[in-house]
Amino acid sequence: MTGFVIRKLLRTLFTLFLVVTFVFFVLRLTGDPVSAMMPDDTDPAILDELRKQWGLDRPLGVQYLEYWFNLLQGDFGNAYRDGRPAIEIVAERIPATLKLTLTAFAFIVIAGFPLGIFAAVNRGTAIDRGIMTISVTGFSLPNFFLGILLIFLLSVTLRLLPAYGSDHWYNLIMPVITLGTAGAAVIARFVRSSMLEVLNAPYIRACRARGMTERAIIWTVALPNAAIPTITIMGFMVGTLIGGSIVTETVFAWPGIGRLLIDAVTARELAVVQTVVMITAASMVFANLAVDLLYLVIDPRRRYASGTGE
Amino acid sequence: MTGLAEFATPRATPNEEKRSSIMTENIMAGPAEGLKADHSTPLEIAGLTVSLKTGAWKCAIVEDVSLRVRAGEILGLVGESGSGKTVTCLAALGLLGPAWQTEGEIRLARTRITDAPSAGQLVSVRGREAAMIFQDASASLNPIEKIGKQLTKTVARLRGLPTGEAREIALDLLRRVEMPDPEERFHSYPFQLSGGQNQRVMIAVALAGRPELLFADEPTTALDVTVQSQILDLIKSLRDETRMGVVFVTHDLGVVKEVCDSVAVMYAGRIVESGSVERIMNAPRHPYTLGLIESMPTLSGHVPEGIEGQVPAPDKRPSGCAFAPRCHKAQERCRLQLPLGARADGGDSVACFFPLAGDLGRTEPSELPLHSRPADGPGPDTLLSLNDAACDYATRRGRFRAVSGITLSLNEGDRLAVIGESGSGKSTIGKLMLGIEPTSQGTASFMGRPVPILGTSDHVAFARSVQLVPQNPFLSLDPRATIGSQIEEPLEIHGIGTRQERRDRRRELLESAGLSPELAMRYPHEISGGQCQRAVIARALALRPKVLICDEATASLDVSVQARIIELLRELHRMHDLSIVFITHDLRLARSLCSHVAVMRSGQLVELGETSPMFEAPEHPYTAQLLASMPDVEATASRTLETMQ
Repeated sequence: MTGFVIRKLLRTLFTLFLVVTFVFFVLRLTGDPVSAMMPDDTDPAILDELRKQWGLDRPLGVQYLEYWFNLLQGDFGNAYRDGRPAIEIVAERIPATLKLTLTAFAFIVIAGFPLGIFAAVNRGTAIDRGIMTISVTGFSLPNFFLGILLIFLLSVTLRLLPAYGSDHWYNLIMPVITLGTAGAAVIARFVRSSMLEVLNAPYIRACRARGMTERAIIWTVALPNAAIPTITIMGFMVGTLIGGSIVTETVFAWPGIGRLLIDAVTARELAVVQTVVMITAASMVFANLAVDLLYLVIDPRRRYASGTGE
Repeated sequence: MTGLAEFATPRATPNEEKRSSIMTENIMAGPAEGLKADHSTPLEIAGLTVSLKTGAWKCAIVEDVSLRVRAGEILGLVGESGSGKTVTCLAALGLLGPAWQTEGEIRLARTRITDAPSAGQLVSVRGREAAMIFQDASASLNPIEKIGKQLTKTVARLRGLPTGEAREIALDLLRRVEMPDPEERFHSYPFQLSGGQNQRVMIAVALAGRPELLFADEPTTALDVTVQSQILDLIKSLRDETRMGVVFVTHDLGVVKEVCDSVAVMYAGRIVESGSVERIMNAPRHPYTLGLIESMPTLSGHVPEGIEGQVPAPDKRPSGCAFAPRCHKAQERCRLQLPLGARADGGDSVACFFPLAGDLGRTEPSELPLHSRPADGPGPDTLLSLNDAACDYATRRGRFRAVSGITLSLNEGDRLAVIGESGSGKSTIGKLMLGIEPTSQGTASFMGRPVPILGTSDHVAFARSVQLVPQNPFLSLDPRATIGSQIEEPLEIHGIGTRQERRDRRRELLESAGLSPELAMRYPHEISGGQCQRAVIARALALRPKVLICDEATASLDVSVQARIIELLRELHRMHDLSIVFITHDLRLARSLCSHVAVMRSGQLVELGETSPMFEAPEHPYTAQLLASMPDVEATASRTLETMQ
């Protein structure tokens, strides 16, 4: 078990290394923070002076090594504008994003699983077709569009909810629906097909043959088996949520790292952008690690196949 | 636990009165009210018709089946695929889906199951009055739950006991099904157990509710012969102990002879003949029953004769006797009228206008000429040989030696059977001979030169001489190409002949494989399994190979079709002096086709020699054990082990 985790962790670190490197070079090759910050008619000498001051005039390779040198000491760099540490700027935005994505994740599971199970159990009926139609609509709608639609409906027309803000629990409703609908739709479809496959398995027929009720079969035998492949999709879902949060936070003026990223890219705040990207990448990579470990917990076949069994 | 109760085959005592009283009752009764609970007859089916219905389309799969199983009786339900055996069992437990419609009477020990019973009633019957075990035991257990837990939960539910007590009973059940190390296995997952052990678990689960009837649907078909014979013994001894009735579904008449007391033979959804096992096996009266028995290869070398034609699809069954189109004795009447159905109610019954008089007219086996040369040393006309050959496979945990120290040779005109159980390395021998796997040690040679490895340029020329016929014809044919074009393909690949010459050769090949020329334009899904396997053989013959390697080539076919493929291989051997390597788990087939036999066990060659001497007096105890385990319709020759001991 520990050997397996160590192998996975090493692979995770390597992935992070690639991400950091990629972001570092792409950001520096696509624009100059100094000219982005200063007015267009600034004296070039002043621009050069600023570049020198921030160390941007040195060869890229040197900057890269220095960046790693600082990073390994826990220094993520400072923002150019106000000189605050980038990690501090990002850290104060993390709770808002966590609140949004975790609630959306819960929404995905709570809506997606029952819908999928319900559709599978009522296969081929109007219920099944209805759920699947909603599901197709759900993941076909781009989430920025869904967000705007919700604002129009619930804030502008019905005046039920404020269009933005983040202080009350009800502020979460529209962003969570916006962010989670596509995921819930995908999970519903996936759970449905996974359940259908399992319900056709010989062991389900054997359960019926020994007098288990259909209800017991669905919840205690079919669902645990059908949930196993769904876990992979849940891992991917974390990535989709983080990506989706950038758009959603922008639409609802949510003060999370998604909006921070947009602002930082526009302002060429290299240290901030890099920190955000690194943290999101790390959370995705660790979500995948968690999925791999979760497999071991719930699927005995994998536990033994990966040589980690008792 | 009662000891081994003395058991006698139930004699024919048709109880007409009881039947009619049952047939007039047609309300679904719960635990028998107003209906006498009949524990001496745990299953009674009368006039059962089961249809598959989609929209306006309706098709009867099982028609007018009547049968009766007494306490302590094992009734064999025999027939080829599509005959309706499994559907009959599933119907009796109400396990068919909503697309199925059931008419007629089904009565278990206490409960009547008629059309559309409520889910709650069915649930209370299943597992308590009747239980069922399936062919694929490993797939019939929840893969992510320990077997002990599954068993405990079932005991607790069916007997209404708290978990602690149920656990004790579960362990006891594992002991009763003779599970090795039951305490330890209790904590195993199904994937950690072998197929035979999983079948023991399934049987234990089936016994959890102390049912009075057990449906056993091909429970040993997927198992190795030695394991099969243990499971058959287990079922028999549990029957003796519990006096439960058993419906034993199988396609193997050898197995029937081994375990059953009475037999019902099904064909195209109907019971065509029934009676005691001795009577059916010794004096079959329905031509189909005779055909089935004649199709079975035996250890004493009976050359199986198949039945021409194929089972009609359920929606294309003729209006008269369904067997008439394949029957030699059929007359006009058979095609027009349906003979009165046979009832499996303990007595003899046959659904035929012109039943056979009796005795099985066995013709002496027509032996193919035997090249009496020792098979283990390469001689002047040795085609293929393995010399101290070993083969390793790379696995996650390093290298695994599949076979080692194999020395054998195939001379021109030889028919060599490679027999063994699963995992014995018999298929690896085929792969070494075909150059699919390289030898890790020793050599594989063809006509004095090393066998080239697949993918090298030398292999192309070699492949013209040695061809493979794999097990599943549907998987080895391209579903999107016509049969004809696939038979021609090897000729195209090797650039042989002009277009017209290839066409001519194609016709010739179809004919020699016993296929009519118009099948050339068909696709694999449009023809039967037997025809597909013939097409595969025709394709393998296209390059006029010297050696044909058949890896379980008949294992997925029905016995009557298998027999015809064996006939074809014998014919091809005779006509073209083809040498054959026949890899199989079925010793009876080896006996009917092959001049020499190589017995494999755990990657080792344990015995090699000519077929008949080996079958009469096996030298290695393992060969003797295999022979003794093999169910055989002619039981006389099969008890080699007993006579040895």
